[in-house]
Amino acid sequence: MNPIRTIFLTEIAKGLWLTLRKMFSRPVTVQYPEEKKPVAPGFRGRHALVRDPETGRERCIGCLRCAKVCPSRCIYIETERDPETKRLVVKRYDVEVLRCVFCGYCEEVCPVNAIVLTEFYEYVGYRREDLYFDKERLLANWDEFLMTQKRPYFNPYWKPRGVPEKMLPAPKRKAEGV
Amino acid sequence: MAPTVEIHRKQIGHPEWDEPFVVNMGPQHPSTHGVLRLFLELDGETIVGCDPRIGYLHRGLEKLSENLTYSQALVLTDRLDYISSAANNTGYCLAVEKLLGLSVPRRARLLRTIVCEMARISSHLLWLATHALDIGAMTVFLYCFRDREWLLDIYEKICGARLTVSYTRIGGVRLDFTPEIVEELYRFTEEFPARITDYETLIDVNRIWLKRTKGVAVVPPEKAINMGLTGPSLRGSGVPYDVRKFKPYDAYDEVEFEVPVGRNGDTYDRYRVRMEEMRQANRIIRQCLDKLPETEGEPVVAEGAPDLLMPEKKKSPQAVPHPKKGFLVKGAEVPVVPEGEVYVSIEAPKGELGYYIVSDGSGKPWRVRVRAPSFVHISAIPEMVKGHMVADIIAVIGTLDVVLGECDR
Repeated sequence: MNPIRTIFLTEIAKGLWLTLRKMFSRPVTVQYPEEKKPVAPGFRGRHALVRDPETGRERCIGCLRCAKVCPSRCIYIETERDPETKRLVVKRYDVEVLRCVFCGYCEEVCPVNAIVLTEFYEYVGYRREDLYFDKERLLANWDEFLMTQKRPYFNPYWKPRGVPEKMLPAPKRKAEGV
Repeated sequence: MAPTVEIHRKQIGHPEWDEPFVVNMGPQHPSTHGVLRLFLELDGETIVGCDPRIGYLHRGLEKLSENLTYSQALVLTDRLDYISSAANNTGYCLAVEKLLGLSVPRRARLLRTIVCEMARISSHLLWLATHALDIGAMTVFLYCFRDREWLLDIYEKICGARLTVSYTRIGGVRLDFTPEIVEELYRFTEEFPARITDYETLIDVNRIWLKRTKGVAVVPPEKAINMGLTGPSLRGSGVPYDVRKFKPYDAYDEVEFEVPVGRNGDTYDRYRVRMEEMRQANRIIRQCLDKLPETEGEPVVAEGAPDLLMPEKKKSPQAVPHPKKGFLVKGAEVPVVPEGEVYVSIEAPKGELGYYIVSDGSGKPWRVRVRAPSFVHISAIPEMVKGHMVADIIAVIGTLDVVLGECDR
């Protein structure tokens, strides 16, 4: 080691000078509960079922693609035929959030963009049942989320950027914000 | 056994004290970077034996992926080395693409290279932060986490997740970059070299840092190869082996970068190698960003790439006309993925990460085996710590940069 450096502690002084300078720079700390960082669009947070503004019901058509693609198998769907209109109606749509890995595959494969991972991330529960979302809860999540959003809201996974159109199902090609 | 121990024993001359003293370190020790458990045999404060025990973070990811389709198993690779998940994703996708014979579009290859190098920087920043904190430099820890936060924010903008990104998909990537992300990455690459200089000002010639790292856990090149070290741990010993140079994948053949190597093979040299690697990673990101406008508008998923929702079984056989008799017979089952086996390795931030996949033709892998660098590096710990002091084992675990999620899988 350099003798001048050894005696005069120059390298220590340099390091201390750097930390001293940083004291006067703008702090990067975010005081979390009081102030929050903006969340990037497309953040994979709490689940919601998109409510169709025209019918007031969920958009889901019960095709089970999300339930099949889910790696942790946390989506349970039950469907039934409406005796009058002969259409498939979703009777039950449950998401077991404690098993979810937040990969976003469900929103990517959904042909009608019915399921979405919203940008809301502050949700907790005291019991397991609190984080077991049924259909009503998922729709309520969507309403709650839309209140905080500037309209129209558009999730990037509804029409993934750069993915060729022929790889997407037809409703996804002309997907628009809600 | 180190000679000092022999002398020490002779001086004591007590028969009971000849037995080494066993200390149990971990699995909840903060400096083991996860759940590594070490049985240390001590003579005084000198380590005479070390026995690592692993498996506390075993989740059976290899077995789990046998029950998932190829695209679903990709999500599990995020959880291997959770600090650099983008690199794990890329390695897995490269293996499956080799099996399928897909060629990825150039834009997707550039994007993958960018996220891989971002993973390298964020992994090395976390390594530097914790390594310095273990040895006793608190300020570096705070500065590194500040900069890693920036990278995680960029990841969040790219794909919506900060840590478990699942950004790549078989045949490309899931989302293209937006112009804002490119702009932010340009800003990052401009500012980051100055930040590295800041860390170096703090610890590069700091006498405490030098005393804790110079001459600690020296690994000669031959020994490093024999122990199976890869990545920065091997390059610190002076072996210029880098998968990115020897077998370029993605867009690494298009970019210019140097492979930094150390000379003495001690902890300080491995630290220098990683610092220089961060600079090179920054350079690679910059070059890839410059090339991105050439590929504007290109798709990011390869032609013929499988859908995320892959069929689980082989497609059922269809009736085909019999070549001679003229009536319909049952044909063979159509495989979803060609049968065969494939091994692909990439240069992950920790070392050489390999995926060995055996396919039986169905949509699920028959066997996935991960060659994790951390697993091999942990097996090198007993060799490296022998004859050192107890405090040095912290430096050794830090310098090998092990992540237990990858080791136990």
